[in-house]
Amino acid sequence: MNQRSKLLIIDDEEIVLDSCTQILAGDDIQIVTASNGTLGLQLIKEIMPDLVFVDLKMPGISGLEVLEGIHDFDPNMVAIVITGYATVSSAVEAMKKGAYDFLPKPFTPDELRLIARRGLEKRRLTLEAITLRKEKEMLREQFAAIVSHELKAPLGAVQQNLFVLVDELSNQLTEEQKGRFERMKTSISDLINLILTWLRVLSVDVNKIQETFHPTSIASAVSKAVEIVQPHATRKDIEIIPSIEEPLKFVNGDEGTLVETLVNLLNNAVKYSRSGSQVLLKAEEGETDILISVTDSGIGISKEDLPYIFNDFYTGKSDQAVEKGSGIGLAITRRIVEAHHGVISVESEPGKGSTFMIRLPALKVPEHA
Amino acid sequence: MNTKIMMIDDDPDFVAGIKSILEKANYSVNVAYNPKDGFQALQVEHYDLLLLDIMMGRGAEGIALARKIRKDPKLKEMPVLIITGLREQIAFLFPGQSVHPHFVENDELLEKPVEPKLLLEKVKALLRLAEERKSKIQE
Repeated sequence: MNQRSKLLIIDDEEIVLDSCTQILAGDDIQIVTASNGTLGLQLIKEIMPDLVFVDLKMPGISGLEVLEGIHDFDPNMVAIVITGYATVSSAVEAMKKGAYDFLPKPFTPDELRLIARRGLEKRRLTLEAITLRKEKEMLREQFAAIVSHELKAPLGAVQQNLFVLVDELSNQLTEEQKGRFERMKTSISDLINLILTWLRVLSVDVNKIQETFHPTSIASAVSKAVEIVQPHATRKDIEIIPSIEEPLKFVNGDEGTLVETLVNLLNNAVKYSRSGSQVLLKAEEGETDILISVTDSGIGISKEDLPYIFNDFYTGKSDQAVEKGSGIGLAITRRIVEAHHGVISVESEPGKGSTFMIRLPALKVPEHA
Repeated sequence: MNTKIMMIDDDPDFVAGIKSILEKANYSVNVAYNPKDGFQALQVEHYDLLLLDIMMGRGAEGIALARKIRKDPKLKEMPVLIITGLREQIAFLFPGQSVHPHFVENDELLEKPVEPKLLLEKVKALLRLAEERKSKIQE
């Protein structure tokens, strides 16, 4: 830390305040003391210390109350309680109330130095984590803005001119040429939609979907997803075989994104399968959750790729001769599943196929109730 | 006299597409490629309708321009058709107002890219509304 660390000691015994100050004093540290809890809390708000030592047993407001005050004011402030041997149980209580550590009396100067250093280190790491989180958030928003303007805008302009050309040339174009224009328009609108999906997932907090969660039928999501992927499967001569255990409990969730999740998995399964093979889609009830699995007998995923496949923009290292993905489908899928408090996992053997499994917490009421 | 339309958008390719649709329908179209030139042009000459892009330059400069137009006594009655690639963001900024963004008195919103037929319908509707308001005031 380039700034001086600020340390506050709250204790009713003057000798403790003095000795602590002497032991800890240094160039990189500013020490402030308070002789009771009320004054301590006031100083906390005024100087916003990085680290607070607080005695548990004081006349007036107690150390535990000071801890609560610290936590209410700034949960990231690091507090260490000072306590006599006789009150170890209250030290435990203090840890529960958010104290980072405790220092039993009497303590040696080295013990105090060590625990203070650890406390300040903890504070530094906490602040660093907060900064990183903020930066990540900003990057994500900036990325969204760049994608929207730099990718979507030119595509929109191309599409606009296609619209106009079709319109202006309508008397001169042959049916075959009109068909070609239509296909161009379709491809571009698919691209624009893909960009919108990226934008939605990268710029918007997926957890926002939780605001509209309600009891949702997995059976219905499954059949919708199969319907969407069916044309892709038919083109590749692949059979999708759904098997849904009935009745199936509902999950608390958002149908649209759950369908998106299943579509992603099914599309992948079809994409990486050989013509003429089958893709199995199973939904069944576990003890407390719903288990959905998608199994293909396709090319599989190599061991070295397996740990990374749910990461953003990961498309695999091994150069297998298949259609390349955008590397974002599984990352989106994972985020949606996690927003539903679920877990996604994968088992795969190269050359034999893969199984993706999603576990979602089930609601207690069965589907037909 | 020809109906005169001003278009403010920083994307020349997009402008070319829109301009071509409007000119084929016998509108006279002038273009400014940034909000500053656009506002100046609006001061110099009277236009029946403004087509306005939102995301220009460093951000949502179109919104700032719409605010200036709303404050200008000469311009605030002018109908404005906002054409933007950012419908979702607009809807987010102004929830429940996706059709009439109400940046200015009389406006409508279209999303980029826009089908020629839809564009001409909206333009015609906005011009007709403006005409009706004018005759009401004169009565």
